[in-house]
Amino acid sequence: MIPWDKVHGGMTHFPIALLLFSATCDFAAVAFRKMPFARGLRTVSYYGLIGAALGSLGAVTSGLALANGVWWGRGDLLFHQRFVWPAFGLLIGLAVWRLVVRDAMSRTGRCLYLVLMALASGCVAAAGYFGGELLLKGG
Amino acid sequence: MLTSLEIKGAVAAVTTSALLLSGTFTAAGTYRAHRRAGSDARPPTASELVTGRGRSLFFRSCAHCHGQDADGGEDAPSLRKLQISGSHMTLVIRSGIKGEMPSFAKTYTEQDTAAIVAYLKTLN
Repeated sequence: MIPWDKVHGGMTHFPIALLLFSATCDFAAVAFRKMPFARGLRTVSYYGLIGAALGSLGAVTSGLALANGVWWGRGDLLFHQRFVWPAFGLLIGLAVWRLVVRDAMSRTGRCLYLVLMALASGCVAAAGYFGGELLLKGG
Repeated sequence: MLTSLEIKGAVAAVTTSALLLSGTFTAAGTYRAHRRAGSDARPPTASELVTGRGRSLFFRSCAHCHGQDADGGEDAPSLRKLQISGSHMTLVIRSGIKGEMPSFAKTYTEQDTAAIVAYLKTLN
């Protein structure tokens, strides 16, 4: 019997931490775009985002196993899932987009990307918060 | 304006995201149906019902001090590897420990206490 609560608890930290870190690096790269390390920040954010997307696959799989396959639950679980699915969709989409585009972003593309990264980060943070509430309430 | 590479990337991103989400929901539905079929085939045993109730009561009254996984908290010890008998556990739950743990004799019936003890025994 796999302890899905522990597996999910462990795996879910990777996408949360990596996405927030990646977004921070992206915004820092914009803020310090004239500095020599801006390119390095973009590279770090790229690998952080890819890692977050890969990690999200494990987090989502273990979460669904923990919820016995319920992907749209009730009560506190629903609060968690309301943010999980938009976050997951955005995270995968952003990672694929960056895999294709790499650093060849136009000004408009970069602006759109940053807006979506901020949105994804907000959704991931909210999903993590409500996931923690579920844990504290013993769900 | 977006470049043609960015538009291609956006199409790939939306397609992958939509496919992955729909695949996830479909797989979750299949898994859920599989789990339901399994649970329909074998109703829970009496002891599983008792430990399930004990788990629920544990989360209601004990987990905030002893931890969600009963592994101990800041002010309360782990209950995972208790070296005491069931009747001793019952005594502690019902009488409490002076200055450390409240009594639950008025909160829970003997059956409820037995259910909590049954759940605690599964943690060993």
